[in-house]
Amino acid sequence: MGSSERSNLKEKITPFLAMTQADLEGMVKSKIVWGWIVAALFLEVIRILSSRTMEASFTITEGLSDFIFIWSMIIIGITGSAVSSESGELADSLLSKAVKRHEYILAKFCSRVALVFTIYLGISTVLAGLTMRIGVNDIEIYGLSFSILVVALVLIMLTTMGVTFSTIFPNTIVSIVTLLVVWYSMTFFFSLIDEIKFLSPSYLIGELPKIIQGNWSGTEWKIVSGFSLMCIGFLAVSLLYFSRKDV
Amino acid sequence: MNVIETENLTKIFGRKLIAVNNVNLSVKEASIYGFLGPNAAGKTTTIRLLLGLIKPSAGSVKIFDEEMTFNSSHLRRRIGYLPTDPKFPPKMTPIKYLNFIGKIFCLSNEIRTPRLSKLIRAVDLLPAASREIKGFSTGMTTRLGIAAALMNDPELLILDEPTAGLDPSGRKSTLELIKELGREKTIFLSSHILSDIDRICTHIGVINQGKIIFSGPIKDMKKLIRSNSIQLEVDGDIDTFCGKLKSIEEIASFERRGGYSLGIDFYPGVSIPKVIIDLMKLVSACKLELLSVNTTTSQIEDAFLKLVQEEESHGLLRAIKS
Repeated sequence: MGSSERSNLKEKITPFLAMTQADLEGMVKSKIVWGWIVAALFLEVIRILSSRTMEASFTITEGLSDFIFIWSMIIIGITGSAVSSESGELADSLLSKAVKRHEYILAKFCSRVALVFTIYLGISTVLAGLTMRIGVNDIEIYGLSFSILVVALVLIMLTTMGVTFSTIFPNTIVSIVTLLVVWYSMTFFFSLIDEIKFLSPSYLIGELPKIIQGNWSGTEWKIVSGFSLMCIGFLAVSLLYFSRKDV
Repeated sequence: MNVIETENLTKIFGRKLIAVNNVNLSVKEASIYGFLGPNAAGKTTTIRLLLGLIKPSAGSVKIFDEEMTFNSSHLRRRIGYLPTDPKFPPKMTPIKYLNFIGKIFCLSNEIRTPRLSKLIRAVDLLPAASREIKGFSTGMTTRLGIAAALMNDPELLILDEPTAGLDPSGRKSTLELIKELGREKTIFLSSHILSDIDRICTHIGVINQGKIIFSGPIKDMKKLIRSNSIQLEVDGDIDTFCGKLKSIEEIASFERRGGYSLGIDFYPGVSIPKVIIDLMKLVSACKLELLSVNTTTSQIEDAFLKLVQEEESHGLLRAIKS
């Protein structure tokens, strides 16, 4: 790649990178994010210490389920306000500059996915590491890795859904409430319908102990494909909608 | 070249509210164009249409002779924009924010760093350069907004109510800065403050209820009203002075406005310098203290009100005819 091509590429991605970095820095300074990290670590340590005689696969499953049932509310708060909280003046001051619509939305997605993924991965690594040392070790390493990554995928899906709702609904409260309703409906009601239960996070949680132990059920590929397609779908909807919408 | 050109520009919100109605305006290069109108006249909506933040319901916007759309980032690269009551990331400092804006415009570090230093100094924010923006006053926020608008050294500046919320000294320095910038750049400035527009603008567009009712050089707007009027402010025995005003034949009428202010109208075609000399002699003879003589401030207010009244009566006529 020649130097002029490199500089063209740099020019193309610099605004996106600058917005992603600024967004991330803003979120990292947030008391809510630090409160989340501290509370999550505290809860996981308590859980691990009180589960010494339990099998590690169940302890890890309980720890990962905290992200689905409890910490998802914080993720909803962070993502549901991504675009709607800035609509009006703050978005104007960026979109009135040399920023394309898709760059703005992609920056929102990337910053939030990066934050959620990093926090989740850090805490789940601590959870898995400590549990393997303290609990009854029934873990198969590929199963454990897959489980951690598939829950990460679910949280990424939640993040993309949150940013999409924030793009569509100009009111932050409406965006967050809608997100809560959809997320908890998916979590609880989808598991009752056989055809789509693989899209239910609570169904996934039910399958995790077996997967962590290395007992694969054959539905894993459906879970991964389903949530991946949902991520791509939400991203596409968000980009398309924002590209046509008055700010 | 027309830097800004709109043709039949219209914006309707939710099929109910016509915020901008068939606006045709053009802004020449190197002019300071004042966009004047009362609150909710459609000024900010027009500006958002010019920037491509919202899509017109009808008509078109051209900036630098190219159609403005949602993705015209290459055109916005040449524009600096100051919104009303600008908002910034509260935990950023001015240095960080301007550096961020510089990156948005893909400015290299060699250009970005000296420029942001120069701008921070120019808008007098050096003492607060490393403070978080959330503690800033209105004046400081506006100054930071101006610095951000200039970060990309734009050819066109669009300023939406730049003096809103400022104290008199803040307004004065902001207007002086805008006038200085107007020497090198094209400026489109919206305001509802008549004296601000009068002070610095070369051209004016008047908007009321979404419709442009005048667009052109300021002097043409002032010609719309009779030039034979003057506002006099004096201190002393004004009653005696008013009694003797009738002795000046050229005076058609006068009106007391407040405790020490008089509006005096002359007959058309008289020699205004002669009348002013006679007035000054009378002021001296009555031993009054002359506070001010003004022929411009009331003119632009009167011109604006006359335009609005004419537009409303045309509207009434249209309603009656239909």
